[in-house]
Formats: sequence, structure tokens, C-alpha cells
Amino acid sequence: MAIEDYRGDVEMCCRCSACKHIPLQKIKGVEHSEACPSIAKYNFHAYSGSGRLLIAKEMLTNGFKYTDKLLDIVYNCQMCGACDISCKYAMDMEVLEPIYEFRIKAVEEGHTNPALDKAITSLRKQGTMVPGAKAKRGEWAKGLGIKDFLRQKTKVAYHVGCLTSFDKDMWPVARATAKLLNKAGVDFGIGGEVESCCGGRAYQMGYQNDFIRQAQNNMALFKQCSIETLVTSCANGYHAFKVLYDKFGLKGNLEVLHITEYLARLIKEGKLKLNKKVNMTVTYHDPCYLGRLGEPWIHWEGKRIPGYKFVFDPPKEYRRGTHGVYEPPREVLTSIPGLKLSEMDRIKEYAWCCGAGGGVNESNPEFAMWTAKERIEEAESTGAEAIATACPWCEKNFNEAIKESGSGLKVYDIVELVEKAI
Amino acid sequence: MAISKDVYKEFEDVVGAENISDDPVIKAAYRSPDLTVVLPGNTEEVAAVIKLCNKHKIPYKAQSTGWSFMPPTYDFIFLDLRRMNRIIEINEKNMYAVVEPYVISAELQGELFKRGMICNVKGAGSTCTALAMSGHGHMGLTTSTGDRNDLATEWVTDEGEIIRLGTLGASDEWFCGDGPGPSLRGILRGGGVITKQATKVYHWPGPSEYPLEGVSPRYTLGKKPSDLNMMVRYFSFPSIEKLVEAELKIGESEIAFELMGFCPSMVSSNITTSNEEDFATLDKFTKEVQGPGFMVIIAGNFDEDFAYKKKALAQIIKETDGKSLKTVEDPAVESTLLFQCTRVCASIRETFRAGGMFSSMMVQGQRYDNHVKWLEEGAVLKRELIKKGLVIADDGQQFGWGEEQGHLGHTEIFCRFNPYDEKSSKAVQEWLGKLGKRALDGCFAVPAMGVLPVDEIGKRVSNYHVWFGKLKKAFDPNEVGENTGYSYVGADISGVHTSIYKKEPEKASPKQ
Amino acid sequence: MIKKEKLVEGAKILRAGKLIEIVGLGNVFSGTYHVEKTPHSIGFGNSFRTAFVVKPRNSDDIAKLVKLANDTQTPLVPVSSGPPHFRGDSAPGTGGAVIVDLTKMKKVIRVDRAHRVAMVEPGVTFGELIPAVKKEGLRLNMPLLPRKSKSVVGSMLEREPVVMPKYHWDISDPLACVEVVFGNGEMFRTGQAAGPGTIEEQWAAGGAQKTPYGPGPAQWYRLIQGAQGTMGIVTWASLRCELLPKLEEPFVVGSPDLDKLFELVHWLVRLRLVNECLVLNNSNLAALVAKKWPGDYQDLKDSLPPWVLFFNVAGYDYFPEERVSSQIKGISDLTNRIGVEAERAVGRVSAAEMLKTVQRPSAEPYWKLRYRGACHDIFFITTYEKLEGQIGVMQELANEFGYPASDMGIYLQPIVQGANCHCEFNLFYDPENPSELNRVEELSSFAVTALMATGAFFSRPYGKSARMIVNRDAAYVEALTRVKEILDPNRVMNPGKLCF
Repeated sequence: MAIEDYRGDVEMCCRCSACKHIPLQKIKGVEHSEACPSIAKYNFHAYSGSGRLLIAKEMLTNGFKYTDKLLDIVYNCQMCGACDISCKYAMDMEVLEPIYEFRIKAVEEGHTNPALDKAITSLRKQGTMVPGAKAKRGEWAKGLGIKDFLRQKTKVAYHVGCLTSFDKDMWPVARATAKLLNKAGVDFGIGGEVESCCGGRAYQMGYQNDFIRQAQNNMALFKQCSIETLVTSCANGYHAFKVLYDKFGLKGNLEVLHITEYLARLIKEGKLKLNKKVNMTVTYHDPCYLGRLGEPWIHWEGKRIPGYKFVFDPPKEYRRGTHGVYEPPREVLTSIPGLKLSEMDRIKEYAWCCGAGGGVNESNPEFAMWTAKERIEEAESTGAEAIATACPWCEKNFNEAIKESGSGLKVYDIVELVEKAI
Repeated sequence: MAISKDVYKEFEDVVGAENISDDPVIKAAYRSPDLTVVLPGNTEEVAAVIKLCNKHKIPYKAQSTGWSFMPPTYDFIFLDLRRMNRIIEINEKNMYAVVEPYVISAELQGELFKRGMICNVKGAGSTCTALAMSGHGHMGLTTSTGDRNDLATEWVTDEGEIIRLGTLGASDEWFCGDGPGPSLRGILRGGGVITKQATKVYHWPGPSEYPLEGVSPRYTLGKKPSDLNMMVRYFSFPSIEKLVEAELKIGESEIAFELMGFCPSMVSSNITTSNEEDFATLDKFTKEVQGPGFMVIIAGNFDEDFAYKKKALAQIIKETDGKSLKTVEDPAVESTLLFQCTRVCASIRETFRAGGMFSSMMVQGQRYDNHVKWLEEGAVLKRELIKKGLVIADDGQQFGWGEEQGHLGHTEIFCRFNPYDEKSSKAVQEWLGKLGKRALDGCFAVPAMGVLPVDEIGKRVSNYHVWFGKLKKAFDPNEVGENTGYSYVGADISGVHTSIYKKEPEKASPKQ
Repeated sequence: MIKKEKLVEGAKILRAGKLIEIVGLGNVFSGTYHVEKTPHSIGFGNSFRTAFVVKPRNSDDIAKLVKLANDTQTPLVPVSSGPPHFRGDSAPGTGGAVIVDLTKMKKVIRVDRAHRVAMVEPGVTFGELIPAVKKEGLRLNMPLLPRKSKSVVGSMLEREPVVMPKYHWDISDPLACVEVVFGNGEMFRTGQAAGPGTIEEQWAAGGAQKTPYGPGPAQWYRLIQGAQGTMGIVTWASLRCELLPKLEEPFVVGSPDLDKLFELVHWLVRLRLVNECLVLNNSNLAALVAKKWPGDYQDLKDSLPPWVLFFNVAGYDYFPEERVSSQIKGISDLTNRIGVEAERAVGRVSAAEMLKTVQRPSAEPYWKLRYRGACHDIFFITTYEKLEGQIGVMQELANEFGYPASDMGIYLQPIVQGANCHCEFNLFYDPENPSELNRVEELSSFAVTALMATGAFFSRPYGKSARMIVNRDAAYVEALTRVKEILDPNRVMNPGKLCF
């Protein structure tokens, strides 16, 4: 698909501004009613989902003219998909897909962002979106005796992801994950130095070809190692393997599970018993790529039925965020003895983004921080002492925001909280 | 026309560099080629921007939430009031709330629900501004209308003067907008920018928050409406006369919270989550209903009140041969309609989803008098367009709602269509024209804006256009303010400018 | 009626013949005709001598009169109610004015049950309209005991408070549409009446003149209301009416605690449980219901608590008993919570008697005149929480000025569905006693200033204080003046009033 294929969708935008807000019946007041960080921060309509579609429409009609302002708009978006969900509450049209395609087109035509180029250079050289050397990717696991799936046969692969692999602050998450899987008796392995980036963040940044290359290589590796189930604790990875690989017809029969899904299953099956009390009030942040964007890809091919209605043959089923991964993380959290879950105003399909997605973390750290601080304030308003999440990117961003704002809130990956309960 | 760099700098000095832009891509998102967008953050900035517009004789237009594509194409300074999004006060004891223009109704309502109160929400839905002065809404039966809910107001005139109406000017308070002496509320819709306004709010007998369950787009109410002392029903009638009789009786007996004269297609749009599901549901409804109908929401303040209202409603429906639509009696459907109509306030699903656009003929007045009869004529004309496949094949009916317990009302009919289909657009415009002309010739009503030349309407309506022209001139001597108000005829918003869908962007039109 | 010779002699400014030509000889009177024998209030300010009084017969007469006034630069002062006049808005603020006395225009043009609307000429009084609408099953939302000669149109144009806050959606209610001859002589119809079509054609099409706003974005009627005749002369007005209840159950709640009473008022109005709803102090309530003066008045007053809330529960066509009993159930929950008691009588005043009283105009003599012969009203709009303080200020001032605060009548009327409260102090005095008159005058002048400082909003300023009140906000005055220049460019309409 290309931006041109979404002309009908961009023309459907009626500028109702639903894309700027969380679903209207969920709004509890002036606080926490916004859905889209970009319009919330930059205010000009161009930065909203609607504005982006209107720009696309203009350029599809009169040609793509890349200016600094256009690129500022294009890259100051976390691709979090909140606009897409709010719009599709009422409308039958794609919002996030054309926004993706616009960015992909910009990249393909050479209008990239230097900070993102830098990240992609690292990807191309070292297979990682964060600074690090390929050879050191498995260092976090040293001494843990975890299987290497390239050499030791196992059906279950634990994909750690770039950030967790190379950021020592994240190593406890990976180690805890391994510990829990072991405890539950799961026979699993890791890629170690052969693990390579899922490609998801490259796709978010608009580098579609780099993503496809990563996807092809990864799937070849999994096939070579007869991997049947892939577990990841990174929401970006989950989205890439489960949704994007499928979108591009590369996923095959690979079962993709986020660690929270896997843990929920293991707890239900009695394979993991949480006995220790963790007396803590926690709020949960739904990572965009696990929550609303984590729902399966829907394969559809069809044509608009000519005429006055916006309908298709065969009928098009839209991804509206309905089937994202919302319950498993909550099931895991609520099965921890003593832990109290206190929800924020914006949750699940209408959760506010942590700010790190879509390359914003790299291209505009200030905007990423602003977005994260908004979320920290929202988390604090629940009275919770900690915010739990299920993605290293969210965790990193929240930790930095807390550091900057002086908040006393603690940040945990769910895995770390489960570890405390074992 | 682009403004010069020097003039741009003057505007920039008012709002700051980050809040002004004339970049083509920014303008593209406002769908207007000749403007400079400014984002004022407060009243003083609005006034300063307008004063600069006067100084340089540059036309301006201000927009609050900007639902659909309302901006005209000839404005050069565009005030997007997005940054003015504060709720200034909610006064529970005296039942009003004070808001800035970019507080949306859903936000104000969220705050009000917590206090057992509710505000009128425009028919365009709760993404629209919560300012009182902009349109009528479905809950008008008990929450009145935009023209009558405003109290004290802070208003920047087209010359950039800040006028504080009523108690605001007298004592910095918000509870009354009239006087001393004559009420300038009478000219608020003529021009200028409302920067803060108190709006009347009303008692809300429902919960402080709907206990919603599920995930978008199919939320459900965790409870049956009856558990909340609420009930939603859709009744159809054997004739318009019977419908009108029932509507009158319901208003007079003061038993309903909302009387929304949905046609079946609007019910089906609101309870379905896709076009395909919508059209299938409409087919089903069309077979179930016996004629024109309306939806009623009953809300009891307490058990006895709820019981009484239900009993009186049943009696009225019996006397008027009404028939309840079984699908809506299902608590799941009933509850969807309840929150859809009180919190989302419908709109997007029922207007834009099917074809991308709609164009409307509407009138504010008494729904049950000549307006219904006139728009029934419109329905006959609309069905011809449906037959020709030019507009969405819904049931073709007019709709509307009661206001102030039936003292007033709103009546409307629209065609939904694909705005990029030139044949459809043209047919809809012609339909509106015919309907507008019929309104005048039949002495039924004043047709909505843009349908007929304003002079043609004005000379048959007390020459109001001449009088309004005088007001405009007195308050906007430099002709910088928006003059689409000049062609507003009903006190309404109306159908949407279809011209923006033309392939070529329209040239700046000269001011009238 | 006056002799022709005398007319000519007095017509230094006007050509009297023209007046006679317009309205007929029998409808032109000398200026002295208008002078009221008794000054019933001190609110008139400096009154000027009137040149003539004319009594137009129809809107055509009015249009011609206004044109003549423009041609001859003659001030016109429209008056629609019969005497006694209280507020001075109908007293000329400048010399040589012609009073346009509309009391002859007495047509009840239409009463429309289905649309719950009536249309009347300005000379129609409450005493006349109440039975006319009653015949059709309708009733008026009217001020508290208007004097019998009070014009319905005049009352609405003055934005007088009404006794049923539930039906007072907007401060402009119950006014719907008007036909007006603006100060420049041009005729205009507001709201739904504006067109298309004549009024008769609109009726034939099934319409009614009910929707007040428009035509166009402006709400013209709001510019005419509260203008004290400075914008034009209304030739007819339509007004919304309410249904006559099938069943009514009135109650009174007496209490020394105004806060508690207004907590109840808030909820009664908020939940729309009651029709008539108002609060009076013991002086006013006694004045309202006393039949034998002065003995009955004092006995009644002594029997009453300081404050009495009166409200009325109504049932309409459908199961009125059940409706009333359900509402009473709701009300008793409220009174229990608040700690007050709704009763059928308080002291020697029964709720049923009150109900009868407030649904009619005042019996003669006008209730405000019965106690001392004259009355001066100080009234403003406020909010509930400010009432106690403002009443305190007024009582303190009264005592300071030697006016016994306990003699003062107080009337508190929730309006605009509970968003506002009309607060009215009635200073009864003996008009024949110059020192009493002076005292009230001085007290009044001080009180307005002191009350304004507490947030009292004098939205309808009359008499001497009017200019001071209006002129407080220069930007507002400037805007009003621009409107005035459009509608009455030659300033012939009631000059000297408000800021004009």
C-alpha cells in the first residue's frame, strides 16, 4: 500500500476533531481528555490526525512539496494510533495507515530526519536501534545459563529487544523474565549475539525497507532454528512480530506472545505461583504498541464500490483497537498478592502515549519528555506509588521524566513486580 | 494575499513565534490558501490581534473547535482559539459554568456529571465548543438552546474592544448577561469573538459517570438503564399528525429528559459500528416502524418520579397509536443510545460515516408546527435523489427535537452523500435551493444560510439583512470581521460549505 | 380632551394638528393630563413638563407619530400601563415630550392553545389577559401581584421577574416576538414573526409567533427589552403561556434561617418540582394578604416567622394526582434532609390563600400602597449566597437612616431557573410626610451604591441612580450607544433615560 491508496480515506476526514480527544463518553473533564500528544503540544491543526490527512489530501492533489515545516509535522508524531482509534469509534476510514504511508514516502524520497538516520545507520551496521555492538547483545544473560536457540534446540524464543539488551538499567527486566520463564518450566532460548532488531521502530520512523530486511532476516533465523513461539517483553517488538510481520506476509505460523500474555497464561495454568505479598498501589500504563496497536492485522483486499457510499467489496473490517492486549497485563498485576491496581483516566485503547514512539525519542527528545511528563502527572493523580508498564521504551521514558520533574513515582516493568511476588 | 513580513512580525509579537504560522502546510490543514494562522492564548491577545487586523485592514476569522469545514475562504488572519481551553468556574449553587471557547462539551459535561449536572450539547456533538452561543442540541427539551443559555459574556468586538456583558462588567461575576438596560446578548452572534462565557447548566439525574464496559467502538453500559432510573424508547406513529400530537403531550406533561426526533436511519447509525452493519440494521428498522417516529429518554429524579413518568408516557403513546421499536427495548441497545445521545450526542456516526458529508436544511423554532410539514415536502424531494442514486438511501425523513418542554424545537433534514461526486453535490445544492425557496413561498420558515441569496431572503423577512448590515457596520467599521453572519438567516449553524470539495480551490471571494 | 384653541397655543414645538391628524382629535390631550395626583414613588428623578399625551389606536398611528417626532425633533415617551406609575421610566426626562399612551391598544390578537402562545397589544393588562388565556386552558407566568392596570407587554419589556422560575428559561421570558416601530420610524418584527409572510400568512401556514431569536444572527428583542422605551415603540408582542394545571398543592415553609430556605429553593427549582416559588419576609407577606388595615396587617405579621417560602406543586393532564404525590414525596425527602417543614399554613396565612393571591393581579388599592400610601422599591439581581449579606447591608442602612428595618418589605424571587435571584426591598412610606419621603430618598440613594459594592446587579436601573449604574462600564455604554444610533438616530425615543 502507498499513500495514494488511501486517497478515499483522507478524503473522508470531516474535521470533527474526534481524533484529538479520547472517545467522548470516556472524557471525565478537562484533565486527561486529549488523545494525541502532537496536537496537544503543537496546537496547529496540522499536527492532529485530521490535519495530517488534510495535508495528505492537499499533496495528493497538488503534489508533495517538502518543507521544513512539513517534515517537522511528519516527524513530530509518536505514531501512537490514538487518533485512529478515536476516529474509528464513529467513522469507517483509515487514519494511522495513511500517516504511516506519508512518512514512508518522505523517507523513500530522501526527506529524512538526521537523528533517525543515525538510528538507522546503527540498525544497518549493528542490528540495533540503540547504540551497541552486535557482539555484546547477549551480555545481559551472562552466567544465567540460558539456552542459545541457534545452538540449542528449543521451540520458544525469548526476544529481548534492542533497548533491554544494550541498556544496563533494563537488564533486570530481561533477567527477571528469564527467571520467571525458568520458574514456570518453560524450555526457552535466546538469540544472544544473533538476535537482531525486530525492525518495528524502523518502520515507525518510516524506513520501511529496513524494516522488511530485518523481518526477512529474523524470520529466516527463526525458521532455521525451528522456533514456534516468540516471547518478547518489548511492546514495539510484539507489534512488529505479530502485526507488521503479518501485514507484510512474513509471519508464517510463528506464535507471538508478549511476556504479559505468557505470564497470564502460566499463572492461569498454575505453572507460576505468586505467593509473596507486594503491598503497593500501582497504576498500569498500556504501551501503545501492545494495547491498541497490538491487535492482529486484518488481511483485506477489496475495492471501493463505486457510488456515493464509502463501502467496499468485500466489506472492509477495520482495526479499531478493540482486540489489543489489555487484559493479560491487568490479570498478571491483579494476581500479585497485596498489589492494588488503580487505573488512570486514559487506559487501554485510549491510553496516552509515553512519548517514546515513532522516532520522537530520537528526533525530538524534548517532545518525548513532555509527553512522558503528562503521563506521569496522570499516573500520580491516581494516588498510585508506582507506574507499571510492559515495554522498555515506556519505562525508560518514564524514568527520565520522573528524574526531570522530581516526581516520587516509581517505575516498574510488570515482570519486575511479578518477580517480587515469587 | 499574504501579509508582509513586517505585519507578520507585529502579529508574532502578540502571540509569540510558536503560535503563528503562514507556512503552506499549516494552511493546508485549515484548507484555506490565503491565511496566517494565529493561536491566541487569552482575551488580551485576541483583542490585540483584532486591533492589528483593524490597523492593517486585514480580515480575520476566529474559530473555536471548528467542527467540519466551516471557515470561509477569504479570511487572512485566522484565529484558532485552541489554546483557550480553560473552565473558569462551575457554580453548582447558581447552576452555571464559565468556559473559554476551546473547552469542548464532552469536557464540561464530564465535570458536570460529577456534580449531578449537565449542559446543553450542540447537535454537532460533544467535540464542539461548550460555549452556549453556538447551536441547538438534542437535549434541548430540558437543557434549552444555544441562543438562550448564555449568561455573562466576555466579548471582543470586531474592533478589538473588550466588552463585558451583564454582571461581568458590573462586578466581575458571571451570573447574568443582560443589562444594565438593553441586553447586548442580542448582538453577540453578529461578529467579534466570544472569549469567555457563562452558560446555564441543568440538573442531571443520571450517574456521576457512566459505568462503561468494553472497548471501542462497542462500549456497553455496565448496568441496565432502568437500574439508573432511566429509559430509552423509540416510537413510530401512523402519521405525522399523531407524532406531533404525542410530541406535544410529552412536552406539556414534562415527563421526558430528551425527545429526539430521530428518523430510523439515525437510530441505526448511532447503535452500529460500521456502515455495513448500519445499512443492514436500517433495513430491519424500516420494516419494523409504522411511520415517522422519535426517541424519548426518560430520567427519574427518584423512584416515584421515574414510575410516574413511565406511566404517563405509556398513556400518551397509547392515545396516539405509537409503536415501540422492539430493537431499542433491548437493554444493550437502549444503553448504547443513552450514552450515545447524552454524552457523545450522536452526530458523527449519523452524518459523516456513510458518505463523507452531509448537507442540511434546518430551522430553529417550533418543531411541531409548519416546520415539520415543510420538511416533509423536503423528504419527498429527497426521495427523488435517493431513487436516482445521488444520495445515501436512508429513510429520507426529516428529524428534529423538542426544546424547553416543547415550547420551542428544532427541525432538520439532510442528505448524506459523497462530496467528491460532482453530480451528488450539485443535486444536493439544488435540493437545498428548492427547499429554501419553498420555505419562503409557503411562509413556513427562514431557510438556512447559503441556500439562497441573502437579499432574496432578507426582503421577505422584515429586511433583517439591512438592519444587520447596519449593526455590522457600526461594530466593524473597517470590515475586518467575519461577514458570513450576514448570510446566516436562522439563528443556526447549517449545512456545510460544499464548495470546498471542488477540485480547484476557490478564489478569495469579495466581501459582500 | 382639550379644546383646539388651547392645543394650538401650547404647541410651540409640535404642530398639534399633525398629532390630531394621526390619532384623531379625541386622542390628543394636553400635557397636564398625565400628571399623577399622588407621587407613589420617589424614583422619578427630575420630571419635565409634557407637551401632549396622545393615544394611538394602532401600529399605523404609532409609525406616523414616530415619523413626525423625527421630522420635528420631538421626544416621545411610550407608556403602556395605566397609573399609578412607579419607576419613572415613563416620566419624560426632557422638556416638550409627547407621551405616547398605548392604553387604548387593547386587542388580544390571538391566543393559541396548541403553541402555548398569546399575542397582545401593549394596552392589554394582566387583569384582561389572565381570563382571556384561561378560556383556552392557558395561564401566564407573571410578576408577583402586578397592579391591575399594568400592561403585560410593558412588564415583559421591563424584564420583570416572574413567579414560576421553572418556566423562566431565559431572563427574557415570557416575551416571544414583537412588532416594533424603531426610533427612526421603521417597522420591524422580531423572531419567528419576522417572516416570511405576514402574520396572517404565517398563521395560515400553521405557524405561530413564538421563537424569539432572529431573524439572522442578532436577537433583536433583547435590544428592545430593558430599554425603557429608548429604542422604539412596541405595537404588539407575543408571549409564551403555560398550561393551566389540573391539580395544585401549595405549601409554605416558614423559617428564621434564610440559608436553609434557599437550600430548599435551589433543589426545588433544580429538580423542577414546583411551579410558583418565592420567598417573602413577614412584612411583605402580611402586606400581600392583609384584608383589614391596619389591624389585620400587624396581627398577620406578628403571626409569621421572619421568612416564608411559598411554593406550589402542580399536576397536568396525565395522572395529576400521581404526579403531585410523586413530587411531594421528592419534596419531603428534601425538607427532611434540610431540616425544614413544608406546611399548609404558616401563622395566619394559608398556602391555599397565597396560591389564589399570586395567580391574580393585585386587588385595589395596589398592595404596595396599602400600608403607608406609597412605596419605593430597590431591586436588583443577585445569587443565593450573597442574599444574607445584602439584606444585612440594607437593614443596617435602613436603621441608620431612621427607617425601621422591620417595616421594610423583602421579596426574593428565584429567576432564570435558579441561576439568579431577584431581590427587592420595598420601602413603604407616607407620601404626605416630607421628612419620611426625604428619608426614603436618601436611604435609597445610599443603598444602591452600598449594594452595588456587594455585587448586587441593577440590571434594570430606573430613576436617579440609572445613569450612575449604567455608566460604570464605559465600553458597555459605548456599545449600547452604537445600537441606539442605528435604531433611534435622532434620539427621539425617551431621551434622558439610561445612558441616552
